[in-house]
Amino acid sequence: MSEEKQVKVHVDKVNKSYGDNHVLRDISLDVMDNEVVVMIGPSGSGKSTFLRMLNQLEKPDSGLIEVDGYDISDPKTNINKVRENIGMVFQNFNLFNNYSVIDNITLAPVQLGKMTKAEAEKKAKELLETVGLPDKASAPVSSLSGGQKQRIAIARALAMDPDIMLFDEPTSALDPEVVGDVLDVMKHLAKMGMTMIIVTHEMGFAKQVADRVVFFESGKIQESGTPEQIFTAPKNERLQTFLSKVMQA
Amino acid sequence: MKKKLLAFIVALSAVFAVMGATGHKANADEPHYTITSDATYAPFDFQDKNNQYVGIDQDLLKAIAKAAGFTVTVKPMAFNAAMQSVASSQADGVIAGTTITNERKAVYDFSDPYYKTGIAWATAKNSKIKSLSDLKGKTVALKTGTAGAEYAESIKDQYGFKITYFSDSDTVYRDVINGNSVATFADLPVLQYTIKNGTALKVQNSKEPFAAGDLGFAVKKGDNAQLLADFNKGLAIIKKNGTYDKIVNKYLSAKASTFTGSAKDNSTVWGILKTNRSAFLSGLKQTLYLTVVGIILASLWGLFLGILGVSKNTLLRSLSTTIVYIFRGMPMLVLAFFLYIGIPAVTGTKISAWTAGIMTLVLNEGAYIGAFVRGGFNSVDNGQMEAARSLGLSHSQAMRRVIIPQGLRLMVPSFINQFIITLKDTSLLSAIGILELTQTGTLIVTRNSQGFRVWAIVAMIYLIVITLLTLFSNWVEKRTKA
Repeated sequence: MSEEKQVKVHVDKVNKSYGDNHVLRDISLDVMDNEVVVMIGPSGSGKSTFLRMLNQLEKPDSGLIEVDGYDISDPKTNINKVRENIGMVFQNFNLFNNYSVIDNITLAPVQLGKMTKAEAEKKAKELLETVGLPDKASAPVSSLSGGQKQRIAIARALAMDPDIMLFDEPTSALDPEVVGDVLDVMKHLAKMGMTMIIVTHEMGFAKQVADRVVFFESGKIQESGTPEQIFTAPKNERLQTFLSKVMQA
Repeated sequence: MKKKLLAFIVALSAVFAVMGATGHKANADEPHYTITSDATYAPFDFQDKNNQYVGIDQDLLKAIAKAAGFTVTVKPMAFNAAMQSVASSQADGVIAGTTITNERKAVYDFSDPYYKTGIAWATAKNSKIKSLSDLKGKTVALKTGTAGAEYAESIKDQYGFKITYFSDSDTVYRDVINGNSVATFADLPVLQYTIKNGTALKVQNSKEPFAAGDLGFAVKKGDNAQLLADFNKGLAIIKKNGTYDKIVNKYLSAKASTFTGSAKDNSTVWGILKTNRSAFLSGLKQTLYLTVVGIILASLWGLFLGILGVSKNTLLRSLSTTIVYIFRGMPMLVLAFFLYIGIPAVTGTKISAWTAGIMTLVLNEGAYIGAFVRGGFNSVDNGQMEAARSLGLSHSQAMRRVIIPQGLRLMVPSFINQFIITLKDTSLLSAIGILELTQTGTLIVTRNSQGFRVWAIVAMIYLIVITLLTLFSNWVEKRTKA
């Protein structure tokens, strides 16, 4: 890797409204290769909507979004191709209920012709090893706990060899005692140099793993900086209020 | 995906085309005609104890065809359907004890009269009603579309009675015997024959029938002039050589049991089952055949409509909604008549009753299936679609691999329910003359007048088949849940 890091995600002046509700106002943000960006903020601040725009699960009303050099706000861009390089992990896991664990992981690479069935299964087993669930390959999805489901969901996203991973509140639906298992997998990914954009309420994790923390409020990025700047010397008044609330809890 | 759907539609239409085409084969040597006839109009048209269609009409037609040199395929059905089929060019001619009236002459061309008849009225055997004026305020049961019905309508106001309609003779008689109505009007020879066969009715005016008239063979007005000429030619021949008298006497002076089977057999359920075994079996076979073919095609059509209903394209979605709306909102019987009698009347193309019946099932049941299929797909959690799309799968890949399999599993109970409804709905197709289980029951009752026993047997057969279907479905449901 050279000193000059590449811009992986470039967002310029993005706006989004649902009816009268202006959820995102002129958001601009660049994410570099290998960078881990954690987005925090109160519920309804627009951070999840913003994250979902990065792989076009939501479409912006105006503004530019470039991922991996593709302009995904351009309707001519083949979004399916771009998505192959963007892994996404959802709050509710969204594992495919009609498949076993291993078939969840191999479905996309095989369907999209990236790998043969055998290659995909070999890779899936390695990934199950990585997320700490090597014995769950043939288990049906319904037999897993929430923490296990989320780790499988991460493995599923990784099976496509993405160079960016999006996490949309990955631990919010989990019992407290299994949150650590999922965060450990994410820390491991960060260590491996994955470019990650994470929406979360886990402040400890943000402090520990983030290269940069972005604070969303009322559809705007109010402040962004290193974890140290954000957590120990917040300038924005709303950030201060937000932190005082979440740190007490 | 789209290609597969297209191939499916093409295959479906091919199936219909083949089914339609097999209905009428041409005969190289002699002209061949399709003739409709009433299925329940003894002594003119009925099924004998061997389940053959016999009667004065049937025997005359055969003798005339032979004498004049043409061949026929006879299709027995309800009287109204028989007449309508000819009016809509579904069939070439109709022989169904049809009285020649001026009104009918506007739509049909009639042959020379082949039988003299008149209208009689009958009451229950022990009825206190002796004259038409006793009918005041009472109800009279009539068979739809008959000359007897027409006559009764014409004197209804004069004598102040009410009218109730049925589509087959036996139900009319039962209604009078059971006392729901007090009298009926019908052709004299028909009533006389029925009474001879043990129906507890009494004719009130056997000496002086009303509106004496003639029966005639009919073709659609302006069509089939050759057939009409041949019929008249044949009729003249058999009247001259004595065949005509032989046929009429055979039916009017025969003992009832000659045609209906012995009284002993008819007095027990077991006896009826035994004597009519082959009829019940072939009726059941036709019902099952209709059900299976109907279920398969309706499921495919319903799936197609359901998938269209969750398409990304607004136009396709509203197309699906519209089709479901139309065919779910239309009574099945209306749809059957529309397909079998309505459309051919305009386009002039013939559709066999079987094809029309299957199309009715497919369109009607398919609309219901389409609605719950769409609902099933929509009830799959949206997160499943998002997860699949986020991996780079296209909309159709996501539908095929993730949404459809999960949706189908949710739909299994609805499918089972619809299969049972389809089985029961096939009974409605008896109205367009398909000889399935219900129509078989009607025909047997016409012959032996054992309404209670025969319908109990038919009901039991349906229950048994539905029980088997339910057990099978439960087994399938259990397996798909695992």
